[in-house]
Amino acid sequence: MHDKKTLKASEMFAMVTMLVGMKLTDTTATLYAQKSQNAFWVMPIISFLVILPSFLLLLFLLKKYQDKNLVELLESILGSVMGKLLGFFIFISSFLLIGLDSRSHIEQIKLLYFPASPNTVIFFLLLCIVFLGAKKGFEVIGFASKISLPFVKISVLILAILIMGEVVWQRIFPIFGSGLTIVLTEGVLKGSIFSEFFLLTIAYTSLRKTADFRIGALFGAFFVLFEIVFFFFVYTTVFDYNSIEKISFPFHDLTQFVSLGDYFTNIETFFMVFWLLAGFLRFIIYIYLLTWIFGAIFNISEFEPLLLPLSFITLVIGMIPDNSVVNETVYRDTLLNYVTPLYVIFPILLWGVALARGDLKKQ
Amino acid sequence: MARLLHSQKSNKKTPAKKETLYKDAKQNAEEIKRLFSHGTNEDFISRELIAAFNKKKVYLFFYSSIVNSNSIEEFVIKPLLEEEGESVSDVITNKDITQISDYQQAIENINNGKVIIFIDGDDNGYGMEVSQFQHRAIGKAENESVIKGPKEAFTESLYVNMSLVRKQIRDKQLITELTSIGERAKQSVILVYVDDLVNDEVLENVKNRIKNIEIDTVRNVELLEQLIEERPNSIFPSILYTERPDNAAAYLENGYIVILMDNSAACLILPVTFWDFFHNPEDRYTRYIFGNLTRLIRFLGLFLTTMISAIYVALANFHSEMIPPDLLLAITAARERVPFPLIMEILIMEIAFELIREAGIRIPNPLGPTIGIVGALILGQAAVEANVISPIIVIVAAISGLSSFAISDVSLNYSVRISRFIFILAAGFMGMFSLIGVFLLLFMYAASLKSFGIPFFAPVAPNYKSQGDTLFRKVLRAEIWRPTYVTQKDIQKKKKN
Repeated sequence: MHDKKTLKASEMFAMVTMLVGMKLTDTTATLYAQKSQNAFWVMPIISFLVILPSFLLLLFLLKKYQDKNLVELLESILGSVMGKLLGFFIFISSFLLIGLDSRSHIEQIKLLYFPASPNTVIFFLLLCIVFLGAKKGFEVIGFASKISLPFVKISVLILAILIMGEVVWQRIFPIFGSGLTIVLTEGVLKGSIFSEFFLLTIAYTSLRKTADFRIGALFGAFFVLFEIVFFFFVYTTVFDYNSIEKISFPFHDLTQFVSLGDYFTNIETFFMVFWLLAGFLRFIIYIYLLTWIFGAIFNISEFEPLLLPLSFITLVIGMIPDNSVVNETVYRDTLLNYVTPLYVIFPILLWGVALARGDLKKQ
Repeated sequence: MARLLHSQKSNKKTPAKKETLYKDAKQNAEEIKRLFSHGTNEDFISRELIAAFNKKKVYLFFYSSIVNSNSIEEFVIKPLLEEEGESVSDVITNKDITQISDYQQAIENINNGKVIIFIDGDDNGYGMEVSQFQHRAIGKAENESVIKGPKEAFTESLYVNMSLVRKQIRDKQLITELTSIGERAKQSVILVYVDDLVNDEVLENVKNRIKNIEIDTVRNVELLEQLIEERPNSIFPSILYTERPDNAAAYLENGYIVILMDNSAACLILPVTFWDFFHNPEDRYTRYIFGNLTRLIRFLGLFLTTMISAIYVALANFHSEMIPPDLLLAITAARERVPFPLIMEILIMEIAFELIREAGIRIPNPLGPTIGIVGALILGQAAVEANVISPIIVIVAAISGLSSFAISDVSLNYSVRISRFIFILAAGFMGMFSLIGVFLLLFMYAASLKSFGIPFFAPVAPNYKSQGDTLFRKVLRAEIWRPTYVTQKDIQKKKKN
């Protein structure tokens, strides 16, 4: 697609962090906390452990079949029809997720900062900006992520430092919250919160070297895990189990909670600026990857014009849930649960087929 | 009809290209006189004399206004009248002499301040360099002044400018390549580069762009810049414009290309990145810590000038909870009697400031002080007292205006001022949400730009090996590499310790 591939591991790292790291600010924490109370900070680790073997297996396969991206890999292992079908499942599941995720994102913006504005207007604006940003192409998205990442992370770090005074670490007990079984099952079911890792593999061959992709993606994945666990830990220890269940947006509650000395008592807008920036970038990356996958499945090499219709359909999907409560507790919860097996199983399936066909022995 | 007119015109004045000279010198002389409208053209001089060395008639032509008459008398006319010898080149003592075989050459020679001669019985004409175009003396850099560092600036003469550059880099590889530009009145363009450092791809690209300009006249680099840039509609510049020879030399040493022309007290440098617009030569002349402090202040200036008005609009209109209560009360009290919406107030003041700036540049010197009185008194104090705007707006607009002067580059300054208005409007639409969105889009647009193939935010994104001179610079001793996004040849400029 590009004659000169300039993206390196650092850009990849930035994109992974932007794409998945935003989970620490959205409603994922609330979703977890509904089930497992104050043990919800352990759950990302479980979800990650469920997803990690499959992700590593996929990376292994991509390395074996050099110069192939996700969809090409699917096709070369499973054959054209089955490969495309599986690719389409991946696309559909993630596309529904982006619709609900973006709805959840605009609900946060609306409830916290623009209570008087209609949902549709905020949604429309968000997707306009996301569409125009995504049109700039993968390379520029990578650059923008890389340059914004330090600012975003520094703002989060400042928040972490400011909140430290409020942390009561004893609140992590009982360590398994509402019970080990619940924590484990819910953690496993929500493996799909890390499903974005798999989407990124569509870009496997678009970096300078494929090694850059692996390094960036793995470092990014572990950094994101650390970040999410750390912040979930902070939520647990700051809010305790009673209130965390009722809080919808723990990140924003945190930002409203902290103050910078006695004079600046409401500094949430400061954090909001970087949160918005990261949010825009997250959806830009997300929708670009999805359009790319869509284009690859249907053999559309010039897929960038598809960004507009797909952005519009995202808006339509996002507007389906009646309200944010339904969106979160019914649609998003269920979808995340259903999608997990797909992502856990498909790399294993690929590996099995590749092994049976004897492709892996050749090299 | 048009073609007919055109052909008539060209018959009369301009000969078809490469129309060779007549064998007869007298005929040639008549033709040249006709071409240059001898008699009507006051400063076009024609002179005839008998050469001493072969006792034949010699015809001389030149423009008296652009030649040095002493040189003509001393090195051309006097030898011709007095010296004995075999051929013209033996006789004439001028520093250079070129043979002319067609009219095009003859015309170019005369236009460029040479004297040409025709000699009876000689098939060729001869051109001799005696030009003396009038120009300003070398002055101080006025738009890019520094406290510590050389003060010389380019002036409106190609040869003086070349001399200023050569003085900085005494390297036999420093090439000053001449090309000419313009269909009708040709001007010389000099490409300066260090041959074993320059990026050949970029060099080829620039040469092609200059070659492909099909326009009657291009007088100076300011016009040339617009003719060779890739994106004429972009709000970001893609060619650096500087009046400082030392700045040009610093870029040349890293493999960049400098373009010089007559009639411009500045040069063009390309390719460039965002950082090159952001930097000032003085950052490198002052010590590491001091230079970086300046950079930090300039970066703050860049942030304030683009953002402060927009942030004020966003905060006061949409996120007033962010403003500490005491300050919020102060703002509200100040705005109580003001009839306009906040965004109108900001726009009024920002536009007023832009007016003062524009008027300040154009105003004749004797009237200079007036602008201060009008600006400060009427726009500041009186507008506040009349409750047209609130005092806090004056502060905001003043900070935003003042910080814009920290961006010393002329071109980037415009980009910054335009984006300021874009941001104010964005902030007025939906506060921080739309402001950040528009900022991100503008930022991504900038990140997608390329100046002659070099990404705008190199070497940060994409990452390249370079001297590490971006937002901050390194200690001079730690600068080991040349910017590899520009040059691939001899990338190490300092030995590692």
